This record gives sequence, C-alpha cells and structure tokens, in this order.
Amino acid sequence: MIKTENLGKSVSTSEGQLTILKGIDLEIKKSESVAIVGASGSGKTTLLSLLAGLDTPSLGKITLGDREITSLDEDQRAKVRSELVGFVFQSFQLLASLSAIENVMLPAELRGDSDAQAKAHELLDRVGLSHRMNHYPRQLSGGEQQRVAIARAFASSVEILFADEPTGNLDTTTGQHIIDLIFELNAEFGTTLVLVTHDSRLADRCERSIHIASGELVEPPGLVEAVSSLGG
Amino acid sequence: MKLISLALKLLWRDWRAGELTLLLASLVIAVGSVTTVSLFVDRLQQALLTESATFLAADKVISSDQPIDVDIVSYATSLGLRTSETLGFLSMVFSEERAQFTSVKAVDRYYPLRGKLIAGDQPFVRGAPVDEGPAPGEVWIESRLFSSLDIAPGDLLDVGAFSIPVTRVLIKEPDRGGGFSSAGPRVLMNMADVPATEVVQPGSRLTYRYLFAGDRKSLADFEAWVKPRLGLEARIFGVKEGAEGIGNALDRGERFLLLGSLLGVVLAGVAIALAAQRYSLRHYDHVAIMKTLGATPRSVDMIFITIFVTLGSTATLFGAAIGYGMQMGVAKILAPYIPIELPEPSMRPVLLGLVTGFICLLSFALPPLLKLRSIDPVRVIRRDLGDASAAGMMTYSFAVLGTLGLMWWYSQDLKLTVMIFSGAVISLVLLFGVAFLLLRSGRVLGMQAGSAWRLALAGMQRRGQENTMQILVFGLAIMLLLILYLVRTALITEWQSQIPADAPNHFAINITQEDVQPIKTLLAENGVDSQPLYPMIRGRVSSVNGESASDRDKRLQHSGREAPGSSSGRNLTWSGVLPDDNIVIAGEWWDENYLGPALVSLEKDLASRNQLKVGDELVFTIQGREVETRIASIRTVAWDNMQPNFYIIFAPGTLEDFPSTFMTSFNLKKEQKLFLNDLLKAHPTMTVIEIDALIEQVQRIISQVTLAIELVLVLIIGSGGLVLLASIQASMDERMKQHAILRTLGASRRLILGSLAIEFCALGFFAGILATVGAEITVFMLQTEIFELDYEMNHELWVLGPVAGTVLIGAVGTFATRRVVDTPPASVLRELA
Repeated sequence: MIKTENLGKSVSTSEGQLTILKGIDLEIKKSESVAIVGASGSGKTTLLSLLAGLDTPSLGKITLGDREITSLDEDQRAKVRSELVGFVFQSFQLLASLSAIENVMLPAELRGDSDAQAKAHELLDRVGLSHRMNHYPRQLSGGEQQRVAIARAFASSVEILFADEPTGNLDTTTGQHIIDLIFELNAEFGTTLVLVTHDSRLADRCERSIHIASGELVEPPGLVEAVSSLGG
Repeated sequence: MKLISLALKLLWRDWRAGELTLLLASLVIAVGSVTTVSLFVDRLQQALLTESATFLAADKVISSDQPIDVDIVSYATSLGLRTSETLGFLSMVFSEERAQFTSVKAVDRYYPLRGKLIAGDQPFVRGAPVDEGPAPGEVWIESRLFSSLDIAPGDLLDVGAFSIPVTRVLIKEPDRGGGFSSAGPRVLMNMADVPATEVVQPGSRLTYRYLFAGDRKSLADFEAWVKPRLGLEARIFGVKEGAEGIGNALDRGERFLLLGSLLGVVLAGVAIALAAQRYSLRHYDHVAIMKTLGATPRSVDMIFITIFVTLGSTATLFGAAIGYGMQMGVAKILAPYIPIELPEPSMRPVLLGLVTGFICLLSFALPPLLKLRSIDPVRVIRRDLGDASAAGMMTYSFAVLGTLGLMWWYSQDLKLTVMIFSGAVISLVLLFGVAFLLLRSGRVLGMQAGSAWRLALAGMQRRGQENTMQILVFGLAIMLLLILYLVRTALITEWQSQIPADAPNHFAINITQEDVQPIKTLLAENGVDSQPLYPMIRGRVSSVNGESASDRDKRLQHSGREAPGSSSGRNLTWSGVLPDDNIVIAGEWWDENYLGPALVSLEKDLASRNQLKVGDELVFTIQGREVETRIASIRTVAWDNMQPNFYIIFAPGTLEDFPSTFMTSFNLKKEQKLFLNDLLKAHPTMTVIEIDALIEQVQRIISQVTLAIELVLVLIIGSGGLVLLASIQASMDERMKQHAILRTLGASRRLILGSLAIEFCALGFFAGILATVGAEITVFMLQTEIFELDYEMNHELWVLGPVAGTVLIGAVGTFATRRVVDTPPASVLRELA
C-alpha cells in the first residue's frame, strides 16, 4: 500500500543544510497497522507527513496506493489525499467555527459528495457523539474532540489512516478509549493504519513497529538493550 | 455549489464568532466616509458655485462692447438655459438742483438670474429682496445719490433726454462687483426705457452683458459652442474667471477637499489591508486542515473568493447607505451655519463610494486572502513552520496600483496624484530604515530601567519587525492627519490675511489733480486709512514689436488664447515705487527717480496670455497720441488684496504730461459710512465704489469652504483612528498569549498594563517623530506646487507631532489591549490553542 525508496528530507537553516531523514526504505502492506516510534526529534513526524503526501521529500520516491506521489503537484496530491487518506492529529485540528457534525461533513463536502450529512450523522453515532453533533469544539472535552476528529478521518471511505500522536493530549483513561476506537474503526473499515506515537500501549496494539533514530530506520532494541536502558 | 455553500457557512460562522468585525467595519467605514465626504462636498460645491454665481448674477456671462448675434441667445435658450440682458453705460443724471456722474445699468425683467436685488423705500435702510428690477417708466437709485442729488423717492430724475420718477432705493445688486466699468453710483432702469434716454449713440461706450444660468452640462455645452463664435470685442466667463478672489478660494478649497478624500481612501485602505491580513493569518490553520482533507488550491480560492465577494458586496452597499444617511444628517446639523440651500445630492458620489469600496477590496484585501491558497498542508503537523512569510511582490503591486488608480480617478490630476504618492513612498522608505534603527536604540535603555520598562522594551526588541511595521502604520496615519491639518491651517491663514479686518473696502476714482491734496487731508482728518493715490489714464496698445496689436490679437485668438487681447483699452498708471504685494518675476524694476526712455511693467497673466516678454516693444495710443515703450519687467499681483492694482505700470517721466485722474482705496467702518456723503458733497466729481458688501460676500464664501474643510478633517480623523485600531488589533493575538503566560507565572496586572502603556507610548513617540518629518516634506511639496502658497517650516509641529503620537497611540493602544489583563489567562490560552 505504501512504499518508499531511499527517502530523504533536508531543510535549510541559518547553520546550513539540516538532514532530517536519510535513506528510508520501507513497505507497508494493505490493512497492516504500523507504529512509527522514536525519540523526540528523531524525524518520525516528518516521515509521517511525507508518507501522507503533506510534504515533498528532498530525495527518493514514495508510492501511495498505486500512485507514485513524489512527482505530483499540490493539486494532484490533494486529490490523492481526498480519495485515499484520513488523518487524526495530536491537537485534534477541528475547525472552531464549525459544529461537530459540520467538521465531520467537511471532507465529503470538499469532494462534492451529496450524502455528506447522512454519513457524518452515522459516524458521529458510531463514535458515541450523536447527542453532541451541534456543539462546537470549544464546548467539547479533549477526548470528545478527538472522537469527532476520528469520525472525520473515516468520513471519506479512506484506505489509509495516518495518526500523529493521537493520544498525546489526552489523559490515560481517555487515551485508552481513543486507542480502542481507532482500532475498532480500523478493523471495521479495513484501512491501513500508520501512526506515530510515544505511547507503548498504542505501539503494542499495532502489528509491527518501525523504529527511527536520527533520521534513519534502526532495528528495534533487543531485550538486553531494553533492560540496560532501564538502568539495570 | 457545495463549495459556495461551504464558503457562505464559514463566512456566517466567522461573522458570529466576531472574526469579521474589524474587516467589515474597515470596509464599511472606508466606503461610508468616502461616500459621506463625496456627497457632502458635491452638494456644498454646487451650492458654493451657485452662491458665488451671485457675483455675476448668473452662472456664465458674455460681456461685449457690441451687441452679440441673436442666434447665440437663441441657442442658449434651446439648451434649456435661462437668459437675461443688461446694458451698462456712464452718464450724468440731473435733479432739479444738482447733477451727478453715475453708472447706469438697464436690465430686462429676468435679471438677475442668480442672487437677489434688494430694494427699499427709503435711503440707507436694510431693504428686502425683490423678484424683478424697475418696471418701464421707473428708475431706482443708490442710497447716497439721494443726498448728492438732493432728492427724495418719488422725485423726477433726468437720465439723458428722459425724465423718469425715482420710485425705489436700490440697496444691493448681486453683481455690483469691483470692476471699473461699474464705477460711479448706480442708477438702475428698465431696458425698455433706454431708447427714450437717447444716451446710446454711435461711438458711445457701452457694456452689453448677456447672462446665462442653468445646469452644469448645458452650460458647458453652450460655452464650448459659443467660444469660437465670439469676436474680439466679447468674452465669456464664469465665476472662477470673473471674480479672482472667489475663484482662488474656490479652487484651493476644492483641491483641499479632494486631497482629504484621497487621504481618507488611503487610510481606509491601510485599515482594510491590516484587517484582511489578520483575518487571513487566523485562517492559515483552517486552510491547512482543509488541504489535508483534500481541498485543492483552487477549492481554497473558490471558498475565499466567495467569502470576499459576499463580504465586499454587503459592506460596500451598507457603507454607501450609511454614507448617504450620514451626509443628510451632517447637512441638517450644519444647516444653521450654512446660509445657503444645499442642492439635492446626485448619485455620482454614491457610485463613487461603491466603486471605491470594491477597488479598496481588490487592492488591499484580496492579496492576503489569495495567499491562503499556498498554505502548506504540512503546517498541521509541523508547528515549527510558524506564520506566513512576508507578503510577496504581487501583494504590494495590487495595493500600489489600486491606490494610484483611486487617487488619480478622484483627483483627475496626475500631478497631485504623483506628488502625494511620491511623498508617501519616499517618506515610507525613510521611515522604515529610521524606525528599525530607533527600535534597536531601545536595547541599551531597557537594561537600566525597572521591570515594566524592561518588559516593554524587551517586548519591542523581540517583535522588532512587527513593531517597525506598526511604527510605519501609526506614523503614516499620523502623517496624513498632520498633512491635512497643516494644509488646512495654511489655507485659512492665507485667506484671512488676504482680507484682514482693516483691508480697504472702498475705491475712489475720477479724482482730479486739484482734488488730490484736499481729499488726502479730508480722509486724514476723519481718521480714514487710505492707500496712496495713483494716477489713471485710459489707453491701449496699438502695436507690439512693430506688428499691429489688433492683427496680433486675431492671430493669437486663432491659436487658442481666451482672454482680452493686448489691444483692449486699459487703465494705465505710473509709479516710481513698486506697489505693495507686487513681486517682480522677470526683468528689473526701475529706480524711483527714473527719467530715461519710456518703460512699462506688465502683470504676469497679461504678459503670458499675450505672449509678451521683457524687452518687447509696445506702442500705446493714449488720448490720440502714440507713446513708444519697452517692457522692463513682469510682476505678479495679489488681485484679492483690495488695493489699487494695475496690469500695466509706466516708469516715471512718460505720462505726467497727459491729463489724468487719480484713484485710491480706503477702509471705512460701518459707523463711518455717512462720511461718504461729506466726501462726495465736497468733491462731487469723484466716484466712490463701495465694495464692503463684496468683501462680506467673499468672507462668507470662504467661511463655507472652511467649514467643508473642517468636516473633511473630522471624517479623516475617524478613518485614522480606525487604522490605529486595526494595527493594534493585528498584534493582539501574540500579546494576549504572551501576557496570559506571564500572568500564569505570577505577573501582576499593574506590571502588564504598565508595560503595555510604555510600549505603546514608545511606539507612538517614534511614530510621531517620523510622521512630523514625513508631513513637513509632503506639505512643502503640496503648498508650493498645488496650493500655490508660501511654505514656512512649522516649528510647533516638531513638538506637537511626537507628543500627539505618544499620547494618542499610548492611550488608544493601552485601552484597546486592556482585555489582556481583564480576561482570565485560562480562557486566553484555550482560545488561542
């Protein structure tokens, strides 16, 4: 479903070129659930944004679905996103001026779908917020906002769901509920799931993890290293 | 359709959330203030022109030595113009006991077309307006003629061969004017009685005046048609050409009002740009989210253009309606102070306001909105991307072109447009550099001061670029207001100095040589201030550099000259001393005791109209004799200083042998008026022209123009205030966040408010200094090139500018941002998260 070849990303800074990612080769199969893990500043969010077509690499190729998106312009990447991709963000990223149901309707409206409202209603019901559908984000708690965001992510019959630290702003209990919801819907819709997380519970729920450090893919630490890192 | 529906939904939600208030307010006020000013000024200008037209008793006048072709009057009538005819001539009139030299005016029943005749039943009463002049078989005479002729109303007066009863007292005629063709006390009679007087004979010196009044377009069409058809002996003029003092005042007043409108548009544009920029910034995240959900740049365009068009249309229509209502209200409030009736407003200013609104939108608001299309979707994840980069060249191009276009359209004057625009651009470039340096200079100060100071100055350093922009915007707003204020003050001071309270308000002519000294003595004994007595001789130019003057005039007329030619008869004088308010601009003035070959000095406009220059040789025909002269100098004359002024002055030693009369001017207060009777009784052959009524009229018109100017100033101040608010609002989010965090960490309200006050006062102080520099530069250009006033540096401004900036920005800024300390930090942080 997703494939990268020698993917790299550098940015210009006042001190010169800064390499964020280097030589990333990976493959994620359809319906697979993959966690991208690494320390802060390792490049995992950058990798996610490249895979989702939100940004363009400095080197290498990305294939999403059956399309090579590296050479596409923004219009074409937007089209790919609207057809294939859903997002869940750490800070929810709902539009403050739209109600819950209107936020969920937004992707379908952008595509011109005629049944946007009905679908949105259904999804909000699915995430347990049909009684709050006319409320605005400022009237919802963090967990409720994230549920709306999840409903929005699945509104367009997506094939791939990208999630960037979806529980990062939530307490443990709420976070657990969100994790459960993501995986339930993921299984229900059969989507490929790629998420960035620090949360080991979330990583453990995925079929596999990709470890990244200093911009490169690394082998996951073995048992000995893991114990050593605990100061044993 | 879905996108449009989504756009309208977003627009409505943004409106309910208060996101659009400032942008909408800026647009409404831009359109509203432009419409109000344009409408009010349009009405006032029409009223002023109508009022000023009373000087001529018409909108346009054809004045001629001969009767004009009847087809001309027929054509005017066919265009819907009202017409009237008057005939003026000088004549002795006789009562039973006395005789008096008078200026007779015969009028038809339509006279006057503008203004009113005022008549009374006794001399020296107030009188009342009347609809028509004297009927056939009657004559009206001025008050003082009753005493000089020793008659009473009802007595007979001999005008030429016609004995006619004096039925009423002529108190005031609208077009009495100050020209010497109307010299002598006035006798007003009906045109039908002229043949009976037998005064009009071949060779008589007569002035035919044909009066025309009507709408602007018909008058313009008529003037364009008739001008090429008029002979050398005739000319057509309106109030601006026919009454220099009024014309100047009107011209300058109109230019100022225009300037005010232009600056108002620029200020409003800045407010719109700032508000649109803020609106756009606050939507960057929204656009990024929509793009992650699949919105293409084109979809983003579609959404925000829909928002923009809907907002723009609503604001523009609303603003125009408000503008219309406001000017009606203003007109009503000012009605007691405007002693003329304002004509109904036309639709043109309303259309002007609407079009201005859209052009302002396109130029100032569209570029920040269009920037949204290129927002990176990765922004939703990469918070380190920060806010948008500085506006690109396209943004500035839109604003520049839009501003230039609007200014040119308003003014129809490329020179004025380029001048203001260049002044503003130069000032801005200088201001930017200096502002940046000034901010950096704050760094040393900040380290020494107490906490509120350190906080304020540290904040200014941190937001260096934004604060530089704020100083520029504040400075620009204050600069534009200072420009208006300075120009208004200069204009009003100039007008008031032109007609000081003790300016001469009476002219005396036809004074014989023998009467010169006795009159001087009489005036002095009665405490009357007078000008020097100037000799006056009638003559005309007969040849120029060997060419016949009348042939030369014909030649020049074909090439488009529009005024009396060199060969017209004129009043000539001689003087060793350059008269007051005359300035030599070419050649040299002669020595006071000059006795060489005959020299003349010409007035500037006369010289340029007739293409005459220093060194040209003129031959004059004076009382049948030819006098050869050379042009020694060209001078400017202040025609509106109410003193004797001459187009042509001879050097001493040439005209003394010619018989001449003398003239002078003097000031008579109201309580001294009866002295005129003593003066005329003692010297019955002299003639006094009373122009006190004229001066009063000029002063009234000038006060009306001043009122209009003050109104424009007030409205523009409103626009300026809006710009300040918009600019402060633009930086609000960042301040809110910063101070919310500080308060969370324990900073007191006093510390925060104190630092805000210090920061805004400092910004205002810098802005005030820069505004003063910019204003002085721009006002120098405007006063010298556009308003034709003398420039003097405004020393008080160098204190006023910085103080005003400090107080104004400090107060407005602190007040506008006090929400920072009033809102709980948690609310702020949640709202801005």
